Amino acid sequence: MDHHLASDSPQVRPRWRKVAYGGMQPGFDDNHTDESFLEGMVMNANVVRRDMLKVMLDSVSISEYLCIVALVVLVWTYTLESTIDENRLLCIDVSLLVLGFLILLFTQEKISLSILVHHYFLNISFFIMGLYVLAPIYQTLTRSISSDSIWALTVSLLVIHLFLHDYSESTVNAPGALKNPALTSCISVNASVVASVFIASRLPSRLHVFAIMLFSLQVFLFGPLVTYCIKKYSFRLHLCFSISLMVVTLSFVYMLHCLLFVLLLSLLVFVNVVCPYWLIRIQEYKFEINGPWDEAKLCFAITD
Amino acid sequence: MDRKKHRIMMVSDFFYPNFGGVENHIYYLSQCLLKLGHKVVVVTHAYGNRSGVRYMTCGLKVYYVPWRPFVMQNSFPTLFPSLPIIRTILIRERITVVHGHQAFSTLCHEALMHSRTMGYRVVFTDHSLYGFSDAGSIHMNKVLQFTLADVSQAICVSHTSKENTVLRSGLPPEKVFVIPNVVDTAMFKPAVVQPSRSEIVIVVISRLVYRKGADLLVEVIPDVCRLHPNVRFIVGGDGPKRVWLEEMREKHSLQDRVEMLGAVPHTQVRSVLISGHIFLNSSLTEAFCIAILEAASCGLLTVSTRVGGVPEVLPDDMIILAEPDPGDMVLAIERAISMLPKVDPQVMHHWMRELYNWHDVAKRTEIVYDHALKCPNQNLLERVSRYLYCGVWAGKLFFLVMIVDFLFWRLLELWQPAEDIEEMPDLTLPHISNKETLQETK
Repeated sequence: MDHHLASDSPQVRPRWRKVAYGGMQPGFDDNHTDESFLEGMVMNANVVRRDMLKVMLDSVSISEYLCIVALVVLVWTYTLESTIDENRLLCIDVSLLVLGFLILLFTQEKISLSILVHHYFLNISFFIMGLYVLAPIYQTLTRSISSDSIWALTVSLLVIHLFLHDYSESTVNAPGALKNPALTSCISVNASVVASVFIASRLPSRLHVFAIMLFSLQVFLFGPLVTYCIKKYSFRLHLCFSISLMVVTLSFVYMLHCLLFVLLLSLLVFVNVVCPYWLIRIQEYKFEINGPWDEAKLCFAITD
Repeated sequence: MDRKKHRIMMVSDFFYPNFGGVENHIYYLSQCLLKLGHKVVVVTHAYGNRSGVRYMTCGLKVYYVPWRPFVMQNSFPTLFPSLPIIRTILIRERITVVHGHQAFSTLCHEALMHSRTMGYRVVFTDHSLYGFSDAGSIHMNKVLQFTLADVSQAICVSHTSKENTVLRSGLPPEKVFVIPNVVDTAMFKPAVVQPSRSEIVIVVISRLVYRKGADLLVEVIPDVCRLHPNVRFIVGGDGPKRVWLEEMREKHSLQDRVEMLGAVPHTQVRSVLISGHIFLNSSLTEAFCIAILEAASCGLLTVSTRVGGVPEVLPDDMIILAEPDPGDMVLAIERAISMLPKVDPQVMHHWMRELYNWHDVAKRTEIVYDHALKCPNQNLLERVSRYLYCGVWAGKLFFLVMIVDFLFWRLLELWQPAEDIEEMPDLTLPHISNKETLQETK
């Protein structure tokens, strides 16, 4: 064994080595702590330093979605009160569809009109036909259930939907996007669809049911796609769109009920201002430790 | 120099008849300490029908406390109800030092907590590495902080493990001793007749799970077989990833070059090892790899991933390290194949006998016990403020737990006084009393 015994003077003890073999190292106790102790430790290597303005701008997409859901609930309320009749609702549906198509057309440079017609248009017409055919089923679905239960269920389902929604838009099925949906985003989509069905089942005629179902499903299923396309196209456009949407929503809610307006406003302020500040404040306490004791990460794909 | 003789209680969930690294460590360490003249008692939970007191070689007394294992051989965490039985054993055997093993064992944590309440000296040995960021590790580290807030001394099996334990628990580094795990070289002797070097055999014996790098094996084996036509693999062990290895074997038509043995009982490990020339270890994390020592003791050259405490285990002429990346591992295997002619298994075995020795480990552990006994003996009420440093909420919770434990102990002292517990006289086995004079410790 090659001990580093100094050849000149016998009082110089051999250097301590970071090895476990060979028994106790001569001249050192087992609890000797060398200067190289914790030399391999790396702190906060993967931590992203966040900037307040950027976090606030990113949180705009969350409040945009909150406003969209608020608008949907508004339309539901007006329809249930019979303020909007079914023909007006159908006009809203058609205009939303056309608007959505136009936005997709403008923002997708790679897409041509023929692909748009074949891919999206055909699927959407099948979808609309299916909804129209199934409308009678939805109409009588919850006839035996009391209204209070329906409102309570709808509110809880919407809360679940908002809580579990995928705000990072990693699961949007746009051409050129990404991975498989996570479990929580599937649950959130299902919750929103079930909430729409519950509301639709409270309406008097079949046309009402069809119109409101079309409206809700359009927004919940295709809304994320449209907002994703806008955001990808131009961030300024996204910002303008979101702020105008927030203003429109707030004014409509104010006309409906004052307390709800205050609630929505405080929620938007909380999401946009308070949460970014809080996140940046507590980031100072982040302490990530890495070192030679970590489990090695494999750099190739693992088959499970 | 006549050292003071200690009376040690080893406590862990993991002991025979279960088989593994911690179990072997406790058994061999106890045997060597018995030979040095100390008294050792082992406390573990009941295994199946094996419940009660058993005696093993050299009079090693094992208490199989009648608790059922709950998950992964751990007994159910009960906190306070384990105090009476631990107290009875401690008083009955007149224990001076309590030595707990393995952070994952609930029985160990509970026994150490109760021993500390009653004022006994406590030593803890940690055998594994843990991370910091996933939910299981965070919980485990908090429990470890609780146990180690008031421990006398701690032992780790490698220097990397010492760094990891100090960071996880907040112990001062001077309290942590590094004493490696060793292998019984008498059980792992190289073959009398060496297998022929015309065909090189690479042996892999490990559980086939993600943590032990089974995915790396799936990538490395086909590449090596393609580059070296005279290389054969023997893969022993079982696990969830075995299916992928079988699939790899079929995909590349390596049925005659890769032999899958399934689970290998520990008694047959040596016969599998001596049929090979090179030992391959691909684990992604290891505090201290005993398998590598067993292979080196049998005269095999080792190729391993550079993770955890593995670089400290063997000198450079016995082990070749590689990054946990398939390309690098293939290169390391090639270097090993080229180094093979210079390797003499008998020389390697003799070298291992010098490098790792159970008696040396027992002597170093004795030094740790001496240090533990030198610690000042404050009573609980003076020490309990140390628990408050474990965290803002956790510190107060731990403080309360220790206070309740102390009150429970006081109640037991009134209800079942220590004088009523019969003390066990020491067994003097003939062959020990012939070899050395045993001091009468009545």
